[in-house]
Amino acid sequence: MTNDSAPPALLRGIDRAAFSTAFSLRLRAAGIAVGFSSIEAFARALSLRAPDSLSRLYWTARISLVHRMADLELFDAVFAAVFDDAVLSLDPNARRRSLASDTPDPDLPFAVPATADSQAGGGGLPWITRPSVVGAETDPEAPVGLPELLPSDVEALADVPFEELDPADLALLRRWIESALDEWPTRRSRRLAWHHSGRRIAMRATLAQARRTGWESIELVRVRPTRKRRRLVMVCDVSQSMQAQTTAYLHLMRAAVLSADAEVFAFGTALTRLTPVIAHRSPSVAIELATAKVNDRFGGTRIASNLRALLASHHGGATRGAVVIIASDGWDSDDPAALAAVMARLRRRAHRVIWMNPRAAAPGFEPLVGAMAAALPHCDELLPAHNLRALAGVIAAIGRAS
Amino acid sequence: MTAAFRDEIAVQQRLAELDYLVDDGLATALYLALTLGQPLLLEGEPGVGKTTAAKALARALGAPLIRLQCYEGLTTNEALYEWNYQRQLLAIRLAESREEKLADADLFTEEFLQERPILQAIRHQGPAAPVLLIDEIDRADDEFEALLLEFLGEASITIPELGTFTAARRPIVVLTSNRSRELHDALRRRCLYHWVEFPEPRRAVEILRRSVPSASEPLIAAATDFVGRARRLDLDKAPGLAETIDWVSALSALGAAELGRVDLIRTLGAIAKTLDDREVILGALDELVPAAPENT
Repeated sequence: MTNDSAPPALLRGIDRAAFSTAFSLRLRAAGIAVGFSSIEAFARALSLRAPDSLSRLYWTARISLVHRMADLELFDAVFAAVFDDAVLSLDPNARRRSLASDTPDPDLPFAVPATADSQAGGGGLPWITRPSVVGAETDPEAPVGLPELLPSDVEALADVPFEELDPADLALLRRWIESALDEWPTRRSRRLAWHHSGRRIAMRATLAQARRTGWESIELVRVRPTRKRRRLVMVCDVSQSMQAQTTAYLHLMRAAVLSADAEVFAFGTALTRLTPVIAHRSPSVAIELATAKVNDRFGGTRIASNLRALLASHHGGATRGAVVIIASDGWDSDDPAALAAVMARLRRRAHRVIWMNPRAAAPGFEPLVGAMAAALPHCDELLPAHNLRALAGVIAAIGRAS
Repeated sequence: MTAAFRDEIAVQQRLAELDYLVDDGLATALYLALTLGQPLLLEGEPGVGKTTAAKALARALGAPLIRLQCYEGLTTNEALYEWNYQRQLLAIRLAESREEKLADADLFTEEFLQERPILQAIRHQGPAAPVLLIDEIDRADDEFEALLLEFLGEASITIPELGTFTAARRPIVVLTSNRSRELHDALRRRCLYHWVEFPEPRRAVEILRRSVPSASEPLIAAATDFVGRARRLDLDKAPGLAETIDWVSALSALGAAELGRVDLIRTLGAIAKTLDDREVILGALDELVPAAPENT
């Protein structure tokens, strides 16, 4: 150790192995997956040089124990809980937090952020910006700016159970998707596969072949780029006005994730990524998990700002060259002009945009609702989606998208 | 591992001498990666200086930088090693003409092995262990990550025909990712992890001052301020630090000593990278540029 003359170290004379294990267990209890090799790295890092400040301890622990950006907030919370609050205010993580939320924005006439997006601006300072993550359930301030969008009895409504679809129907949904996969639009990938009319010659394979003929290459092995199915991205409106269709749509999204490796999102007032939870083996558990994750179900709708959040998030890359399906009735509390702008952007990024609307089947339906009228020029297709049969039509439309 | 630096403050100072400023977090991450000999995974928004960190680290250590840019369809042939088939064929012909018998083992020797970045990093001979930058790993297919696991864990790679190569001196490995896709846990587990934040305004000014020495002080302050405000607008691609540096360089190349409106519009392409962004920024110009009547 090199710190004999250094200022008094924190954690002097403690068992480092026990300390790092205990702290890691604390993190694990809070829900951060900490592997044993990380604990080992942490203990080794501590033994290199005993931390003489909380900030040094913070960075050492964070870099060796946390492995994903989504866990950082949880880590900060556990770290703050374990180590003294009074000292923590000097700490970079505490500093960052105060910049992100407490500092009032000098340029705004009011302190409450209008949307979750503007809050990502970093509370008045240009570069301390943690980008808003998809699934803003950790963001209790966001709805504060828009109380009129949330019905007063969200809590009660959120308890309304999803009605069950027939298991046979669910199987049907998956079968439909699987049969549509053959006609799915594709794009050229950079991978190469053997093909007799390929333009390139695979040297490795050719030489391996030549081995059998006394190192005389009689047959050239040709390869060409493979084609890859385009990704399917589904964005589903789960607001109040969509209540009757939500379960069916969630099942459709689950089928799409399981059978076609789709990326799925739900939104009401805020956007939530559902892909990981909805893939659960049991349909009922999957829907339950998804419902629990979407905490603003049956609230208001903000289509434009949610689509914008999707494009801006790091999952926005998934929409590039993809088939994007938006499921919504088009009742939007955002400005139609904003929706038109974001749809134009989405259209440029995606291969094909399909809008499924449960009301489109009603006799005399015309897309005159402000938002729907604004979005329509940027959609390739507007399809009805009021019953199971109509969903089959939507799935078939993906195949036509090539 | 011989410690190249006494502690993270030494890392910070050495990098600062090379005009690369890092905060405590990144300095600790680099220091730990060097000292523990573990790979370092840097994630962050585009333009926060992840790639530059690896480059600066290589310069600070006086070590060669070996770079592997990832892309879809990247395979062993481009990342690890490849056989020199042309030479193998020649060797076959030669053996034939001499009427020698040729065995497999004669063809798959180091003589015919072509190094690709990872093997190159492992077999590197030189005074300093090389810095291997695996850039934008999220752009490679997720199967490619599995290829890296042996290398990241043991600093070795196995070539079926030849056996296992292990690095005499562990290369310093820096991986970067823009999070366009989630990386596997197996990969994360083998790395130290650091999320790179945008630098705070004061540090940003300091970085600009060093990277664009020709720019005047008021220009740098005004540009930092402007970009800070512009980042709060609803932009497709918010300007990062790299864009700000480009912009200030562009402005100072035009001989601007202050942020004037004409120069600003002429050079807007350095920070606004889509037509929409350009229009948004132009539309909000009055709010973005603090009242400066002499410039209009």
